Amino acid sequence: MRFDKRLAAALVIVILSAGLSAQSSGEPILVYKEKYVMGTVFEIAAYAESSEKASAAIDKALQEIVRMDDLMSNYKPESALSRLNRSGHFHTQKVPPDLYRVIEQAVQFSKLSGGKFDITVAPLVNLWKAALSGDSMPSLSQRQQAEDCVGYKKIELTPPDQITFRSSCMQLDLGAIGKGYAVDRAGEMLRSLGVCNALINSGGSTILAMGSPPGQPGWLVHLRDPSHKIDPYVMLNDQSVSTSEQTAVSLLAPESAGHIIDPVTGRPIDTQFAVSVITSFGTPSDGLSTTLLLLGPKVGKSLVDGMSNVSAIWISPKAEIETVTNGPNIFFGKQL
Amino acid sequence: MSFRNLAVLCLCVIVSPAAWSTVFVQWNSATLPPASALGVNEIVFAWEPGAPNALLATARKRGYRVYVETPLNQATLAAKACARKGCAGIILKVLEAESAETEKSIASLRSAYPKLRVLVLSPTGKQPKIRGSFVIKRNSVLEVSSPTAQPWIDTNLAFIKIEQRSRRPQVPLYTFSWSDQGPQTTPTADDYSLAVAEAGAFHADLVLQLDEHLQQGLNRHDGDAWALWNQVRSMLKVSADASAAALEPAANVAVIVDQLDPHDEVANLLSRHNIPFRVFTAADLKTEELKGFDIVIVFAKPDAETAERIKNLATAGATVVVVDAHGQYSWQNSQPVQLNEHTTSYSVGNGKVLELAEAVSDPETFAQDIRRLLGKRNALLSLWNGLTTIAVPYKNRGATITLLELVNYAGEPVRLQVQVKGSFTSIRYETPEHGCCESLEPVTHDGFTEFVIPEIRIAGRINLESR
Repeated sequence: MRFDKRLAAALVIVILSAGLSAQSSGEPILVYKEKYVMGTVFEIAAYAESSEKASAAIDKALQEIVRMDDLMSNYKPESALSRLNRSGHFHTQKVPPDLYRVIEQAVQFSKLSGGKFDITVAPLVNLWKAALSGDSMPSLSQRQQAEDCVGYKKIELTPPDQITFRSSCMQLDLGAIGKGYAVDRAGEMLRSLGVCNALINSGGSTILAMGSPPGQPGWLVHLRDPSHKIDPYVMLNDQSVSTSEQTAVSLLAPESAGHIIDPVTGRPIDTQFAVSVITSFGTPSDGLSTTLLLLGPKVGKSLVDGMSNVSAIWISPKAEIETVTNGPNIFFGKQL
Repeated sequence: MSFRNLAVLCLCVIVSPAAWSTVFVQWNSATLPPASALGVNEIVFAWEPGAPNALLATARKRGYRVYVETPLNQATLAAKACARKGCAGIILKVLEAESAETEKSIASLRSAYPKLRVLVLSPTGKQPKIRGSFVIKRNSVLEVSSPTAQPWIDTNLAFIKIEQRSRRPQVPLYTFSWSDQGPQTTPTADDYSLAVAEAGAFHADLVLQLDEHLQQGLNRHDGDAWALWNQVRSMLKVSADASAAALEPAANVAVIVDQLDPHDEVANLLSRHNIPFRVFTAADLKTEELKGFDIVIVFAKPDAETAERIKNLATAGATVVVVDAHGQYSWQNSQPVQLNEHTTSYSVGNGKVLELAEAVSDPETFAQDIRRLLGKRNALLSLWNGLTTIAVPYKNRGATITLLELVNYAGEPVRLQVQVKGSFTSIRYETPEHGCCESLEPVTHDGFTEFVIPEIRIAGRINLESR
């Protein structure tokens, strides 16, 4: 994995020179900021009439993402999610509206995928995460114990803001949907402050494109291509793209762990596909990308066939491609 | 000089506090504030033949030890002038292509000017920072790649480790150019502090390039410039602390290479994953005792002698990973176990040899594999919530880890959970913001100590003691 220093350097130069030249010509100013939050780098690039306006709006949007992290983090012991994970077992808990909404939407994806997408997979995720960081592979009994705690049907949602776990060991992990939700909230914040042309990125995994750059039909976004042979890209305008991919296969071990766990088998999914999903908002694109990775291209395509404004692409390291396009077109920069 | 005296001299050179971690400030304005105000003692001017020497004299009067930076081809001229003007030393800016000539030039300069320090500067460090993935083209259209990615950190740790081997016994001396930040943006206090923190934590010497606007601001007593610099000074103070001088980096992974490449990406990723490693050349394998390494990664093509040493290391209990291994070796007499399509394992004595059949094409996955191979029992160091933090453990002569240097690249304070191999009863935490030291609560179990760092902003130092 090699990153080109020149590209990063080009980033700031062009933002500033574009901004300065625009300031004198009355064109919108582009402002870029980044912040480390939710274990990744969130970036926002936004156009506004003045750099002050863009800058202030971006700051507010980044603050909103921090607020989401304070609600949804399962690392911070005092987050609303951590509190729910500690005390929601057979006890009805009142939770903040945002947490309720994201859990509610996650449960919808669980229903849609027949349980393949499941935010109650946390005990299994923790087990395999330990293996990824040097512990031995989980034993069958450890896996069975964790599997007993999994099952989205044991989440009881009582509108508008109450949640009960119908299990004594249930734990929620919003890693497969939380960043998408945070990106959507940041987008709402920018819009409420009069900034309608912006790009919000949560560490590459979910990108929300609002409007377009001046004079352009949309924001050009290149998609993950593990084959390096296809260079797929999309032009996004009020749309979001998310990408999911399993941890790379181990070179030195007989068995690979992985961070995306199939709740049905209790094991990391064995796929080399990377999946990118384009929808209207960050929450569904984030949730769907994991769902479609877990379902695989065959079942995944039939799921997307029933949806409007959704496109998806599966790409393997051997350049095998599967696409389904009910929404934005996916273009290819290279011919196979 | 007897061998004993020579050994003592070498040891002094290696552990001399003065040479442990120093920040040299690169200056190019015509005037400069006093050393006591700037809080640095070493100042560097670029060598210009025929340029007036008044600035060198002024700098000396203002309390600095003056160094002149010169390309290798002008070193003799610069050294002559420098010695005449009472400089403390010259700094040779050496390009990679010139490395072969460097040793000869240094020897000749040292012999001609014994009172002058002659240092070698590696100019290819990188600006330490955390990076996003946005890329903007000249037509202002944003392009974004979209992998599921952890934050990417530009760190100089691997580069410094490789320099430690290639420049020894000189402490690595490096510099970097600031990323072009645009016409109205200049490095911030945090940018300078992070650079200083890196050099201090990794125990290297840094030539810090000061932005021209900052130099001018400091010269005209501008309040903002001095407010910025005073923040950097608190970092300089902590980094210059020589209390760690008798320590050396702890490592239980050895990396054996044919060529020392300062931009080796595998070494970079090992650093990013906080795997304490040390770099050796294949020649070292024949002359040095590689004791205390749980994993030995061999990138060098093994000859018969090296192969025998590899087998001995495995016999003694190490796991040896031979990368891109093709050939007949004596460890292959053991029963091979095909671990996967890439790797074959051979049990040898108390350890094993893993033959990876190809070169490392994905350093990230390889580094994660090495971390897993170490396992929990052999992990000298583990961090939680540490995606943006690099930690370097240091050990005393008894091989006990007594110091942990931490650098956080996030630009945000983070709360960190740390596990260190060893049982410690006292954990003291020092930061530039709060000084020395806050006591942290240790929890010991199974030969490891865990503690929580409530907040690390840019740099922190942990002192570990067991009573």
